[in-house]
Amino acid sequence: MAERILKRPLYIIVGLLSAAVIVLLLFWKPTVVVYGVQRAGLYAGIALPMALILGIVHIVNLAHGEFMITAAYITYFLCNSFGMSPFAALVPVVIVMFLLGMLIFKFTIKHTLKAPELNQLILTFGLAMVLTQGLNLIATSQPRKISLDFVTSSATVGETTFGTYGFIYDLAAVLILAGLLFFLRKTKFGKAAVAVGQNPRGARIIGIDVNKIYILVFSLAIALTGIMGVLFLTSQSIFPLAGGSYTMKSFCLVAMAGMGSLPGIVFASIGLGIAESFIMSFQGYGGWSNIVFFALIIIVILIKSFKGKR
Amino acid sequence: MKSGIKTLVLVLMILLISTALFAGGQSEEGVKPIKLGGVWPLADITGEQGSKSAQLAVDEINAAGGLLGRPVELIVIDSEFKPEKGAAAIDRLATIENVDVFLGGMSSGVHLGQIPTLKKYKKVTVWTGAASGRAEEAMGPDAAWYFHLHPWDYNQGASYVEGWEAIGAKYPDLATAKWFMAYEEGAFGTASFNNWVELWGDNGIVEGESFTSAAFGGGDYSAVLEHAKEANPDIFVWAGYAADALPMMEQTKAVGFEPKTYIGSPPGWPSDFGDSPLAENVMFYGMWTPEMNKINKISKHYYDAYVKKYKATPETYFAPLGYTAVYIIAEAIKRAGTVETEALIKALEATAYESPLGETITFGPSNIIQHQGIRRQKIIQWQNDKQEIIWPFEYKTSDPVYPFPSWNKR
Amino acid sequence: MIKYWKYILIAIILLLGVLFPFYAGAYQQSIARTVLIYLVLAISWDMLLRSGQLSFGMAGLFGIGSYASVLLLLRLGASPMLSILGAGLVAFVVAALLGILVLRLRAMYFAITTLAIGEIFRIIIRNWSSFTGGPEGAILPNIIFDGDPVLSYWLVLGLALLAIVLSVIFQKTRIYFALTAIRNNEVVAKSSGINIFKYLVIVFAITSALQGMAGGVFAQTYGFVTPESSFSADYILLPIAMALLGGIYGTLGPIIGTVLLGVLAEYLKLYIPYGHLIVYGIIIICIIMFMPQGIVGVVRSKIIRREVG
Repeated sequence: MAERILKRPLYIIVGLLSAAVIVLLLFWKPTVVVYGVQRAGLYAGIALPMALILGIVHIVNLAHGEFMITAAYITYFLCNSFGMSPFAALVPVVIVMFLLGMLIFKFTIKHTLKAPELNQLILTFGLAMVLTQGLNLIATSQPRKISLDFVTSSATVGETTFGTYGFIYDLAAVLILAGLLFFLRKTKFGKAAVAVGQNPRGARIIGIDVNKIYILVFSLAIALTGIMGVLFLTSQSIFPLAGGSYTMKSFCLVAMAGMGSLPGIVFASIGLGIAESFIMSFQGYGGWSNIVFFALIIIVILIKSFKGKR
Repeated sequence: MKSGIKTLVLVLMILLISTALFAGGQSEEGVKPIKLGGVWPLADITGEQGSKSAQLAVDEINAAGGLLGRPVELIVIDSEFKPEKGAAAIDRLATIENVDVFLGGMSSGVHLGQIPTLKKYKKVTVWTGAASGRAEEAMGPDAAWYFHLHPWDYNQGASYVEGWEAIGAKYPDLATAKWFMAYEEGAFGTASFNNWVELWGDNGIVEGESFTSAAFGGGDYSAVLEHAKEANPDIFVWAGYAADALPMMEQTKAVGFEPKTYIGSPPGWPSDFGDSPLAENVMFYGMWTPEMNKINKISKHYYDAYVKKYKATPETYFAPLGYTAVYIIAEAIKRAGTVETEALIKALEATAYESPLGETITFGPSNIIQHQGIRRQKIIQWQNDKQEIIWPFEYKTSDPVYPFPSWNKR
Repeated sequence: MIKYWKYILIAIILLLGVLFPFYAGAYQQSIARTVLIYLVLAISWDMLLRSGQLSFGMAGLFGIGSYASVLLLLRLGASPMLSILGAGLVAFVVAALLGILVLRLRAMYFAITTLAIGEIFRIIIRNWSSFTGGPEGAILPNIIFDGDPVLSYWLVLGLALLAIVLSVIFQKTRIYFALTAIRNNEVVAKSSGINIFKYLVIVFAITSALQGMAGGVFAQTYGFVTPESSFSADYILLPIAMALLGGIYGTLGPIIGTVLLGVLAEYLKLYIPYGHLIVYGIIIICIIMFMPQGIVGVVRSKIIRREVG
């Protein structure tokens, strides 16, 4: 990874430039960086599992955010019924989500692996619909949230007071990224998964059980959305339709980062998070911040494609 | 080439079957029921409970012998929050179900799509949703058959001004000076803000900024809250949705912003909001709260009946509003002695219904339409997990608690 | 002989379609209008897909068309019919310009870009209140044909027929061979001297114009636009699901798919008022799993099997 970065002067220039911008912003509008980075953590944490599925199983999972919200609902009911703390619920939720991922893969996605990509796309759209509407039937559309004291933690530097809880998303994103990179590069299973991702036929020929890899990678990714679901519930309200916009944002991030690139997701998230926060810091212009999100995505994709042509 | 024919035969069959299956309902022998046709977004808590409340009212009326010696039937169709589906539902209710009256409603966006269809049938319509002035413009002044229960956005704005002036006169410490409004960037929030600015004038009393509601993928209010803190208003108000409620408060606390009065104005609150220590003494606007049961017998009766029948509590004011709509129609039918449109309009014009919402509902002209029902929202405050009404004073269930307690003293 | 029957059948279906308002009620016509709007989206989406380009831009172009037609009428005083044509023209120009920029992208990259462009237009429209009416949208003083349901139905049917005819033309002419060549093997297509890019831009612009006109027709028949409903994500995924159900890469598939799913959605709603969408989702999942080729594909393969056997 490091060598690859050093070989490309463009990356160094872009990296240095963005570092300079961030330092400047830290002095001029420190909260832009603080909130931008917190936002980036949320984006990256949710998008990473999607990139994992796309990179190895080659499926665009349109039920991604919905899985996260399902996990959040499970957490909510665990906390509410058994008085668990959400962090204690993390363990059962991750296990349940892993199993749910396995079941769904086994009974639906597995059967469409040979069909064109489009079929998988619409299949996951159908899954998203079933998850959302199922939650709606069980829990109604009324938003839910557990009230926690620690999410209001804050710090004061100089004259600015800002919330610090959002950094938990950064922590989660970094841990997920590090864990995944370790898994994919250092473990035997992970290396096999990478091989399957690059060339499923070749992997099959050298004796890798491709189906096993698919189901485990998919379930792992769904388990990771479970972690994000638990965290999401601590600081945001959940309702059945809450996942949709995160599916779309993750999808955009994954495309911006390059299909299946995990570190790319983190850089893309930081860029988008800070850019959005920057626009929002000007009073009255917050409504335009979403444009930055989509415009940056188009620009990055276009630049990459033109670079690829040369 | 044979395959071509077979596929075409298949298409033909599908077309025929789909037309045939859509053929209308058959007329029954015996006493024909009076039919009410309701359209709500049934997957949403507002529409779900609004329609169920309407059914509750219908059941009560039937248990008491029906209307004009005929039973009453409510036919509910889901609008799915889609304008074209909402319009098709009206078409179905009018032509296949042959309903006598339309009711229901939630969401201005859906209603805009339904208005041309409603105008086509000109049946008596008692609508419980749609606050946007655009909908009123689209309906126009000629629709005598249209009875709108929910206040228009400008009605709501005017009632807030009235309320705050009254509160300021009674509790001088609560007299207001400077406002900051954080509003969600969609139709609901923007209209609220524009009305508010229009009412107070462009004199620096009202400042505001939009945010993306958590209902549409937002949920980060830090920038808006920082600006609000800099503006240092006496009253901070946010106009968003239930999903924004707790995160908004948590982030307000985190940025160290402590306004003297804190108002939220979502159409409904999240589940168990009152349990949060942050909720204490938040004020908000609404038409009804369960505390109404203390002062209003109809509200108490409605609430108990709803809980008994559906094993759930009514969560938003759209629930009692659905119940109210059915009773307003039923009383008018009784007075008119018929369901014939002209007579029914006359009877509805004479409505004076003591509603579970507190007020006695009557109809009169608003800016454009002829028959506007409710014009005021209430100012309510969370006190000890209860939603106490503090204005209008005639429905007061508690005095306001002021100022908003510091975040750290909860 | 066989050809002869085929044309008779088409004529019968066409006649049934045109005379629909005379034997079906207002509700059926209302549903038919919605189905036909989705039909235009599904067919036009499929027309571009035949070149291998997966577009998620339908909602964006539908929204642009809706707003173009309403604003042409409100701000420039265009007649409703003219404003619908204008909506098509605006969508055509927007798509042609953007197409030159983004049609070199492939697969998911192209899909995401078209999605993002739609979102950008939605945000601009929402924020540019003085011109567009902002988040609350804009309303028309009158709906098209003063709300005459038969004429409105024929208008939508006309647009759907236009889409069908264009789709058939695309399948029968040079464009078809160019597009399939692109889908199957771009390198071969290039070396055979086909100007891929030119064809792609043309097809993208034409299909976008159809989607824009669908938006224009919708806005004119319902008399309003709002950023949320005019750019709804339903206009992206539902047409795709419908086309897949019927069978992609052809004219017949999207037609069958939209009619079936469109009518089915209404049925489910009447029988399961609370929670019908969950069944709808399960049906979509089952169709994808058990009929990956779509209805047309299943019927074709069965017939071929029977003929062989």
